[in-house]
Amino acid sequence: MRSWRACAAASCRGPTPTGKGWTELNHNGVVGPSGPKLLSARFGRTDGHRLAVYEKEGGYQALRRVLGGMQPAEVQAVVKESGLRGRGGAGFPTGTKWGFVPQAAEQVYFFVNADESEPGTFKDRFLLDYDPHQTIEGTIISCFAVRASLGFIYIRGEFGWLIDRVQKAVDECYAAGYLGKNILGSGYNLDLIVHKGAGAYICGEETGLINSVEGRKGQPSIKPPFPAVSGFLKKPTIVNNVESVASVPWIIMNGAAAYRAFGTEKSPGTKLFSVSGPVKRPGVYEIPLGMPFRTFFNDVLGGMADGEELKAVIVGGSSVPVLPADEIMNCNLDYESLGSAGTMLGSGGMIIIPKRCDMVELIQVLMHFYWDESCGQCTPCREGTGWLHRLVKKLRRGEGTPEDLERIEHVCSGMAGLTICPLSDAAVMPMRSFLAKFRGEFEALIQDQTPVAAESRWPRGEQE
Amino acid sequence: MARLTIDGSAIEVADGTSLFDACRLARGEALPHFCYHPDLSIAGVCRLCQVEVEGMPKLTIACNTTVREGMVVQTRSEKVRKASQQILEMHLINHPVDCPICDQAGECGLQNQYMDYGLYDSQVPQSEKVLKAKAQVIGPEVILDKERCVLCSRCVRFCNEVTKTGELGIFNRGDRAEIGVAPGRQLDNAYSVNTVDICPVGALTSRDFRFQKRVWMLKSTDSVCPGCATGCNVRVDHEAGRIYRLKPRRNAKVNGSWMCDEGRLTYKAVHAVDRLTEPLWHGQVVAWAEVKNHLARVGGGGFALVIGSAHQSLEELWLLRQVAGTAATSGGLAGSDTGKGDDILLSADRTPNRGGLAVAGLAEHSATELAALIRAARGAILVHGGDPAAAPEVAAALAGRDDVVYLGTHLGVTARAAALVLPGAMWAEKAGVFVNRQGRLQPFAQAVARPGNAREDWRVLVEMLPAGAPAAPTSLKALRAGAGAALAPTLDLDRLPQDGALPGGEA
Repeated sequence: MRSWRACAAASCRGPTPTGKGWTELNHNGVVGPSGPKLLSARFGRTDGHRLAVYEKEGGYQALRRVLGGMQPAEVQAVVKESGLRGRGGAGFPTGTKWGFVPQAAEQVYFFVNADESEPGTFKDRFLLDYDPHQTIEGTIISCFAVRASLGFIYIRGEFGWLIDRVQKAVDECYAAGYLGKNILGSGYNLDLIVHKGAGAYICGEETGLINSVEGRKGQPSIKPPFPAVSGFLKKPTIVNNVESVASVPWIIMNGAAAYRAFGTEKSPGTKLFSVSGPVKRPGVYEIPLGMPFRTFFNDVLGGMADGEELKAVIVGGSSVPVLPADEIMNCNLDYESLGSAGTMLGSGGMIIIPKRCDMVELIQVLMHFYWDESCGQCTPCREGTGWLHRLVKKLRRGEGTPEDLERIEHVCSGMAGLTICPLSDAAVMPMRSFLAKFRGEFEALIQDQTPVAAESRWPRGEQE
Repeated sequence: MARLTIDGSAIEVADGTSLFDACRLARGEALPHFCYHPDLSIAGVCRLCQVEVEGMPKLTIACNTTVREGMVVQTRSEKVRKASQQILEMHLINHPVDCPICDQAGECGLQNQYMDYGLYDSQVPQSEKVLKAKAQVIGPEVILDKERCVLCSRCVRFCNEVTKTGELGIFNRGDRAEIGVAPGRQLDNAYSVNTVDICPVGALTSRDFRFQKRVWMLKSTDSVCPGCATGCNVRVDHEAGRIYRLKPRRNAKVNGSWMCDEGRLTYKAVHAVDRLTEPLWHGQVVAWAEVKNHLARVGGGGFALVIGSAHQSLEELWLLRQVAGTAATSGGLAGSDTGKGDDILLSADRTPNRGGLAVAGLAEHSATELAALIRAARGAILVHGGDPAAAPEVAAALAGRDDVVYLGTHLGVTARAAALVLPGAMWAEKAGVFVNRQGRLQPFAQAVARPGNAREDWRVLVEMLPAGAPAAPTSLKALRAGAGAALAPTLDLDRLPQDGALPGGEA
């Protein structure tokens, strides 16, 4: 049995920074010519990030249309009508969220959340890397829609090359008159700041992100008040995911009905999925929501790589419940179908787990992650993530008892739904589902307390 | 007003009330909590005050919920009880079980709440606990024990919001998160010990009180801090005649939940080695029985000048005024009666009852003016309390006189200059009323016994009333009735509310 980490490294061929200022494409790109390319038209190209290319292919026409006579309320109405749901993971309707900004607010702030760090999720960095202008155009339109005069693109600090790329694109926009004072002669003013986060998972939670920009420890704040009412500097603030914002220009150009032509009634539009694991063609794909997983898996991903067999799938980033192969095969890729199957669409960070993968080892990796990333604020999460991590480690040391499995469930029940932000739930959902769906592997580890089982494949330092 | 139902009982509270406060009213006791504090911002991190609100899918924390009309709330349901148990268990898994040696045992929120709501079978072996640093000195007044901390962030919020000095922070994350002082800083502000008061566990302890006494042996008496004109409401914690600490008592109209570190140490004067415990005649101990004769020898039955003090109670000042009769009077103040104030609580006026001087009709005089009054006095002088001769001008004026009577508590400069010294009672040894800088009349009660043969000041003053004065009071109640009728006719001095009262009523 190969270690999970080795298998992930070998098969997840995401883009790698080249040091040349762009990212080389070493995956199979988007779905074939017949597929929709609302977001991914310039994926895989080496020039798609340039303003001239973007403009030539219709870029900033949506902005021109908006500033050429639309009112903020009209823009909001179109986005609301399109049914666009937040692509960060929670799936809250974007237009509805914008509507929470008080009408009388004098100062509104807008944040694009590019703190992408959910294990398995790497679609936003693709978007910003290959096509930063699409997100920037969407940001300017979104800012206009909520009447913000200052926007931020909050990018995870580890994505150094990406920060440079987006900053250059923002500079191009200032030079071209898409940002700054009196944009395109419309009288609308907007400044956009590319903000480098210091790198903590929970800075991607909207209040954690705001605290981080305000210079405080990046940890979530208690709600209410919600950021749309009192956020950055206690002023109304909207935080949207990169993919949500990037969808806006297409919706403006083509209309809500055209957007609704893709997807399902409750999950309109297209969605980016970032796929890792030993499938034939891992990568980032744009597909209409509602596509059967079976189709996606077989036709788009090409099925499992040679010699591999599908065991399970984490469909929406590591915080959503895992589904065994036979269960996921009957699901469609949309919010409601996955919800009724007991999991979530989440961020679309799809992790394909092969048969040879040791599920207890995999959950140990995940529990290590959530323990390490808990901000430490709320007691159930602070103590619970650590406790779960220690319990799983104990199992893997070959020291587990049947009571430990009950204890894991007990700890989970003390964590779920009891904290300020959903990190606690993000740890509990995979833990519970791994134990429920693959209990046999946990029990086998308890019965078979051999040195092999006890031997960790992880360097000691990384487990602590 | 909002009407809601809590645990089946209807209750009506003002709009905007927090559900936490509404539950406290309905239950008669607070919900379990660590991070909530009425005088700090809401953090919502301990997750203990979860309640079930009808129509909400998840439990919600009461501290961050505002009451709504028609709300139906359960605070004792099975779901709530289970959540409280589990969260307490989470609080305890990495908390050391060192209660027998922890100075907070007996008043530890974790210990108390665990007794009320906890689970009793531990699932975590001692050997698996996350260990952190113990007994670190973090400031002149405070010691930190990191592993006892439950990260409620009250102390951090206190330093950010009340003193605005920001010395404390929570560093690192997850279960490695720990409280600490910012690099290069100390917890060294004028209010630092409040962090100890609000610490719900034994993570922050007071260097002054630490290991002096088990808290369950202490008795508490409501009182008022005598350290300055603010008159912070306090609790005197004492046992067997000895005071061990002062703790602030919440009064939203005066001091909120706080008091300054300087005020906290005022109790030390009660047990000072220079306390006066016996009457002295020219430095020699005499019996109280002889005092009347000595008084006759100095004053011949009357005084030419009576000097009061802003350290004495309102009742005593009123009685002193009767003792003075037609003699000149002064509310003498010493240099030590002022200090540096701030805009939080501490007043530059370091006397507790300057307001009382004015109410009792004793004019204040500077040291120079007081010296002139003393020089002009043709006859005996009575000095009651304070130490006016601490000012050199006053000491010079008193020098050589052998007709000075001093009724006070410590062997200061004035006591040394007096022919007859009468030992009185410190504020903690008697009951009375102070008038603070707001003009608020605040009662204090007797906490401990007087040392040696010291007496309540009013009983001594009664002996000095001139012939023809109104009938001498024979009880504290009678004294208060007299003083109240004369000085604060709208109030009953004997039945002042615990948080005090303004003579003109509350604004």
